[in-house]
Amino acid sequence: MITLTINGKEIRLDKPVTVLKAAQQAGIKIPTLCNHELLKPFGGCRLCVVEVERMPKLMTSCTLMAADGMVVRTESDTIADVRRAILEFLLINHPLDCPVCDKAGECELQDAVMQYGPPTGRFIEEKRKVRESHDDPILARNMERCIVCTRCVRMCEDVQGASAISMIERGGRTVMEPFSSRSFNCEYCGNCITACPVGSILSRLYMHSYRPWQMDKEVETICGYCGVGCSFVAQVRDESIKRVIPRIGFGMNNGLLCSKGRFGYGFIEDSGRLKTPLIRKGDALVESTWDDALDLVAEKLTEIKDSYGGRAIGGIASARCTNEDNYVFQKFMRVACGTNNIDSISRTGYAAAQKYFEGLLGQGINANIIGGIKRSDMVLVLGGDPASVNPVLGLSIRAAAKAGAEVAVIGHAPGLERYKTINVLPPLFKEADILEALLLEVFRARGNRGESHAIDRAVSEFDKEYSGKTDMHGLEELKDKLLKSDSISIVFGMDLVQRTDGHRALFATAGLTHLLEARLYLLSERPNEQGVIDAGCVPDMLPGGRPLGIPDFRRRYEDAWKRPIPDTEGMTLMEMIEGAKKGDMKALYIMGDNPVFNLPDRTFIKESLASLDFLVVQDIFLTETAELADVVLPALGWPEKSGTYTNLERRIQLLRKTVETTSGMDDWSIISRLSCRMGYDMLYTDAENVMDEISRVSPLYRNLSYKEISDKECLWPYNGEPLRGEAKDIKVIKEKSRDYDADLYLALDKPLFHSGSISQRSPGLMDISPEPRLKIGTRLAEKMCLKDGDNVIISADRGSISIRVSIDPCVNGKVVLMSNNFKEKGALGIMGYNLDPVTKAPGIEGCAVTLRRG
Amino acid sequence: MLKEIEDIKAKYPDTRAALLPALYIAQKEFGWLSLDAMKAVANALNLPESDVRGTASFYSMFRLKPAGRNLIQLCTNISCMILGAERLRDLLKDRYGLLPGGTTEDGRFSLVIMECIGACGTAPAMLVNTDLYENLTEHNIAEILGKYK
Ligand code: SF4
Ligand code: SF4
Ligand code: SF4
Ligand code: FES
Ligand code: FES
Repeated sequence: MITLTINGKEIRLDKPVTVLKAAQQAGIKIPTLCNHELLKPFGGCRLCVVEVERMPKLMTSCTLMAADGMVVRTESDTIADVRRAILEFLLINHPLDCPVCDKAGECELQDAVMQYGPPTGRFIEEKRKVRESHDDPILARNMERCIVCTRCVRMCEDVQGASAISMIERGGRTVMEPFSSRSFNCEYCGNCITACPVGSILSRLYMHSYRPWQMDKEVETICGYCGVGCSFVAQVRDESIKRVIPRIGFGMNNGLLCSKGRFGYGFIEDSGRLKTPLIRKGDALVESTWDDALDLVAEKLTEIKDSYGGRAIGGIASARCTNEDNYVFQKFMRVACGTNNIDSISRTGYAAAQKYFEGLLGQGINANIIGGIKRSDMVLVLGGDPASVNPVLGLSIRAAAKAGAEVAVIGHAPGLERYKTINVLPPLFKEADILEALLLEVFRARGNRGESHAIDRAVSEFDKEYSGKTDMHGLEELKDKLLKSDSISIVFGMDLVQRTDGHRALFATAGLTHLLEARLYLLSERPNEQGVIDAGCVPDMLPGGRPLGIPDFRRRYEDAWKRPIPDTEGMTLMEMIEGAKKGDMKALYIMGDNPVFNLPDRTFIKESLASLDFLVVQDIFLTETAELADVVLPALGWPEKSGTYTNLERRIQLLRKTVETTSGMDDWSIISRLSCRMGYDMLYTDAENVMDEISRVSPLYRNLSYKEISDKECLWPYNGEPLRGEAKDIKVIKEKSRDYDADLYLALDKPLFHSGSISQRSPGLMDISPEPRLKIGTRLAEKMCLKDGDNVIISADRGSISIRVSIDPCVNGKVVLMSNNFKEKGALGIMGYNLDPVTKAPGIEGCAVTLRRG
Repeated sequence: MLKEIEDIKAKYPDTRAALLPALYIAQKEFGWLSLDAMKAVANALNLPESDVRGTASFYSMFRLKPAGRNLIQLCTNISCMILGAERLRDLLKDRYGLLPGGTTEDGRFSLVIMECIGACGTAPAMLVNTDLYENLTEHNIAEILGKYK
């Protein structure tokens, strides 16, 4: 215990902190400029000086550790003189253009000068002149205002780990610049904006719009782009989001955001938003009223149900919709339409993986706090780039690496290129071979954790069946490091699920997780992939992850919903779509997703949906899928909704309505109106009312209220009863990987600046990354004499796309990478697929392509 | 150049420490440090590009703008000034058309004015590339510069 006195007040400290922190804890304010909560002490500006008894000179409180018996004074005439002098020096070159500076009103320099500064300056020399730089599409840089605190540089280097900017020159000419001195070409997290105490780094989306005090409201909500679920404050004026700012101490992202969260809010104001329901009249979709549209849907669905039975109807839910939306959706499908055919696009990744792991290792296996990654001594990253799929989670891996953890990457993860410590290079599309070999090596070195688990038995069996040895560069080192580490995090990305033999990588990863007692994290591209599953939007499980096949569980929901639930498992996503093509599936109801664009083999998906008798699409834009629909119903974007999302840690968080709109209706509300018309009453008053029902009926969320969710961290297992017990019998067979001997393959790229197709409608993200690019390796570029920006035509057997290339040294020679985010230029559209027989996820590996200039 | 940087790298415990010598090597190779040259150094040392530029721009011995084949670094600090460095500066301007910070039209010389280079006892002094010349006069300076093509 350390006891010190600050300004006559006795302060007790449990753990050693700086004098500045000790003062803050006691509510004593010391002015600072170069200090920042998220950064290490720097001691550059000297504004935080204090007097310490028995120390001859003033001390900087931000770097001085509090010691027992210290007597500190934070205000005195001497201190005030020094602070005044410091500020006077800073103002020599500062333009004092507060009236036109965006930062005015929230500027730390302005505040400090107001309190301690000299009323006038005595320097008559010319101030330095530096042109404000607008060379970057989104970040404006005003170096006249810069006080050289280096907070931005330290943020970018130490926290973001991007190291895109630095202090250039020295003395009075010092400024911050990105490497190119013009455009930032960086990760565009905007965390340097947060770090800058003055108006030197500004978002051009917000610049010169409104003063911070002119906002109508501030709403504390969460980001709806990815499965991390960062918290931020959205500032709103005239029902339009003007900017979003993260706050230290608020949410698990604690003051950090990524490009999507910070600059991606523009899509809700896109002019393409659907405003009224549309009904198909011949070839055209024509505007209609809610009553007519809902009557038509109810009538058609009832007709199909009556003539073909519920099995001819299917529903596709959405990981961009809330838990409430998805719960109401599956309830509607199960009891009003009489079918368990419910799935979501998450089947192509997260849902397939999550259900597999949970089946083997028990419920809650992936409920791990992101912060835990930082504390690991080894991070194993598989099948995806955390730094672009879930950027803020990616920061934890970089932080772990900086703290000395080993980082191994199997897959394509350019965002970790500078951080990985072990190089493993599996042959193309054969990661499963490596993971299986690794599992066996670990098993042979360490043995079982006890025969009690089915997984232990399965691993032993697998070992017996497979006695060979795999040789691969780095495998030995990786195994040794894994065995030596006490605290391992495995970060699993969905590239490995999108394989025809995806279950092999899943099994091996499950085994490694179990044997190494590792924490498992699943990368999640969309905000509510876990929530979709927990809400019951899977064909074989009721809400709360209760297997449909167990009569007790079914009965329990039947009692609550007062209607029978069909007892046969429904079809998975691709089965429904293939069923449509075959004619078994007559009607599909798609809520908030765009399968035509987001699934492989575009022509096939389109044909299948066109074979349906009836297609309903509920969305905020007229997507490629909506264009095929018989009825289109306009819904709300996430900033316009209230509800909850469950993130990849299984944390439940409140999404608060940020702006009002007249464009559409809440998804749950549309469904419940429809349900009433089909003779099954759903009379919810608001989203909270739906949550009340969920927490009443789902054993996972006993007594969970919005108040509880917003008051404290709402973490697994909530107040609920997780389902104990894992799979009894796991069948494993050693399979051989296919050979891949084509010259060139296409693989899916998950870029940092885009997500699904909504980012394409956000001007901020489009400014940063305006067009799709085909990423090609250096060697291929040389062979084809291609330069950055050259146009090529890429052809696969499902189609061709004309696209510009960008050369990426991290790309393996035999593949080219392309994203699936831009209209008409989505990679998935030209890729074929084969279903993984176990997970039912479409495998898209091994898509051979040719490339020619064009 | 890459080979030389590799050799240097081996002499230091971490690559950041090898940055200054590596920048020298690159400067020798390219005459000045363009963005591409700094990128090459960053790659060779596995350091962030922006770090390399930050460091290079801090030190006056690195040239971040295209420069002549030979760099004259003339001291005009107090001792040199008293002993006539300013006259030498004027001479460079009159005879070679060389202004501080500038380059001769034929690309033969660039001139930078230095603070004390530690040769006060033998002032006025200058460096041409890495060669030190002391006790300069209006006469011997022309002869010295004649050696550099
Ligand atoms: S936006 Fe992010 S990556 Fe770019 S310079 Fe700022 S902190 Fe660095
Ligand atoms: S730009 Fe802002 S944060 Fe960066 S050094 Fe200047 S004042 Fe500090
Ligand atoms: S990491 Fe994910 S949740 Fe966080 S700001 Fe980025 S996109 Fe949004
Ligand atoms: S805040 Fe302590 S020196 Fe800047
Ligand atoms: S003043 Fe010129 S060398 Fe010291």
